[in-house]
Amino acid sequence: MPLLECRGLTRRFGALVAVDSVDMTVEPGEIRAVIGPNGAGKSTLFNVITGVLAASDGEAFFMDQNITGLPVEQVVQKGISRTFQLTHLFPELTARENVRISAQARQPGRWTMLGGAQVLQESTTQADQALERLHLSRFADVPANMLSHGDQRLLEIAMAVSQAPKLLMLDEPTQGLSIEETDRAVTILRDMLSDGDLTVVLVEHDMEVVFKLAHRITVLHQGRVIADDTPDKVKESNEVQQAYLGGFE
Amino acid sequence: MNWKVGFIVCAVAACVVPFVSPNYMLTVIIEALIFGLFAMSLDLLVGYTRLYSFGHVAAYGLGAYTSALLLLHFNLPLPVTIVLAVAISTAIATPIAWVCTRTHGVSFAMLTLAFAQLGYAMIYRFKDFTGGSDGLTGIPRPEGPFGLDFFQSKIGYFYMVLFCLLGSFLLCRALVNSPFGTVLSGIRENEAKTAALGYNTRAYKRVIVILAYAFGSLAGALYAPFAGFASPELFFWLISGTVLIMVIVGGSGTLIGPIIGGVFFLMLENQLSEVTDLWPLIFGSVFIAFVMLAPQGIWGILTARFKKPAVLPQGGADGETTSAPS
Repeated sequence: MPLLECRGLTRRFGALVAVDSVDMTVEPGEIRAVIGPNGAGKSTLFNVITGVLAASDGEAFFMDQNITGLPVEQVVQKGISRTFQLTHLFPELTARENVRISAQARQPGRWTMLGGAQVLQESTTQADQALERLHLSRFADVPANMLSHGDQRLLEIAMAVSQAPKLLMLDEPTQGLSIEETDRAVTILRDMLSDGDLTVVLVEHDMEVVFKLAHRITVLHQGRVIADDTPDKVKESNEVQQAYLGGFE
Repeated sequence: MNWKVGFIVCAVAACVVPFVSPNYMLTVIIEALIFGLFAMSLDLLVGYTRLYSFGHVAAYGLGAYTSALLLLHFNLPLPVTIVLAVAISTAIATPIAWVCTRTHGVSFAMLTLAFAQLGYAMIYRFKDFTGGSDGLTGIPRPEGPFGLDFFQSKIGYFYMVLFCLLGSFLLCRALVNSPFGTVLSGIRENEAKTAALGYNTRAYKRVIVILAYAFGSLAGALYAPFAGFASPELFFWLISGTVLIMVIVGGSGTLIGPIIGGVFFLMLENQLSEVTDLWPLIFGSVFIAFVMLAPQGIWGILTARFKKPAVLPQGGADGETTSAPS
């Protein structure tokens, strides 16, 4: 059973077809990269799958359940956690509290209004583990807005990871990072993914990052899938070369 | 543990007030405490969820008129009436909260204002029932249950108000520190992100608006029997602004700050209005001064010296090797 399956997923903005009948199947344990030039529809595809945008056509299935049209918060409750292309945090709260609130979202006791020490305790434990996995433990008590941009990106990933998602969707995790920061982030991400407990779909611009992390690559061009293969095959594909890679070696 | 000591010290100190304050001052102090409670209820919205209600007076007026009408028509024991008034006000607040939380920002502020104005208009519209511009007068304070009648004296009423204030404070404090309360802080900081993390943010906002109305209506329900009358002034939109100022000057997002702000402004108004008619001018100046110079409010100033500023651990972004256990 595939974990995620998109069938003819389409999103139109007026006359523009941002995502054009995309078929994509992600198996459990896979690290899938979605690449493509600017405006290829990568982020739109993310937003349609996670319920931020409604699909104009087609369907998305998660563990054989139709999730098309579900509101964002219900998609998360099914087990899909995501990060955003532009960092989305709780700026004034500490790093730990950012992650803790995220972890708490998947707990049945999240509505507890009085007391709830146990819920808070459990989510704190999960938060500390997620911070550790992203090498952020020493920043636990620092407000998120004091962290460097690179650490903020990692913090957002920690928030998603703390939810123990069945599917983790990362929208350009290295967006806006310097070369050094990117290297560090990739090392940390590889480390995190080496545990093999996560299935990941990531959008990424940086080809080096993609080839270091992904098992399989989906290439979008003008909203359409033009390739869906292993990194090596994608590198060799003429169509991809022309559309996007521009002779990347 | 520290705050508990502070709480007990304040509670004990407050209990002594009736014995050291002149009788006429006690009236002002009771009103100030009621307003402190009212301001604290608004802080749940403004300070903890960043929902700016411009119509919080609706909660106050609703509580005041409900308790006044119940007392005039049913003559039930006062504590029972107050509980009933809060329950009825909360029930009325539920659809209001449902509508208001469908909007954000300015629209939310305007909708809450609209509901408050609706209440104001209804007082005049249903004159036979509400007394119109004359208001309701001669509100009794019936004794009971179990023969309780301490609240019929002014000192007794002071203790009842104090009890309600301290009890509400403890409840609100537990609320904002609960898992539910931490979600509110998420909504305050970044609502879109909170939703993306899997929370139904509208449902959380709906609940906190209802709860803010509940505590606000408690303040109103305490006021009407104390004053012995209820007038349309209790629904007047200016009070919504005044209480918002109290929250901000006291220190929003602290619960205790708005109580101080409410008490501070009512006492200030009382003292100044004896001296000059221009006290609103001073009121306004104090507000401007706080917004410009001390946006953290009175409580923020008082506690600033105890707060350690956050420090970024050394080693910076690349300091892999300096990673220390948390």
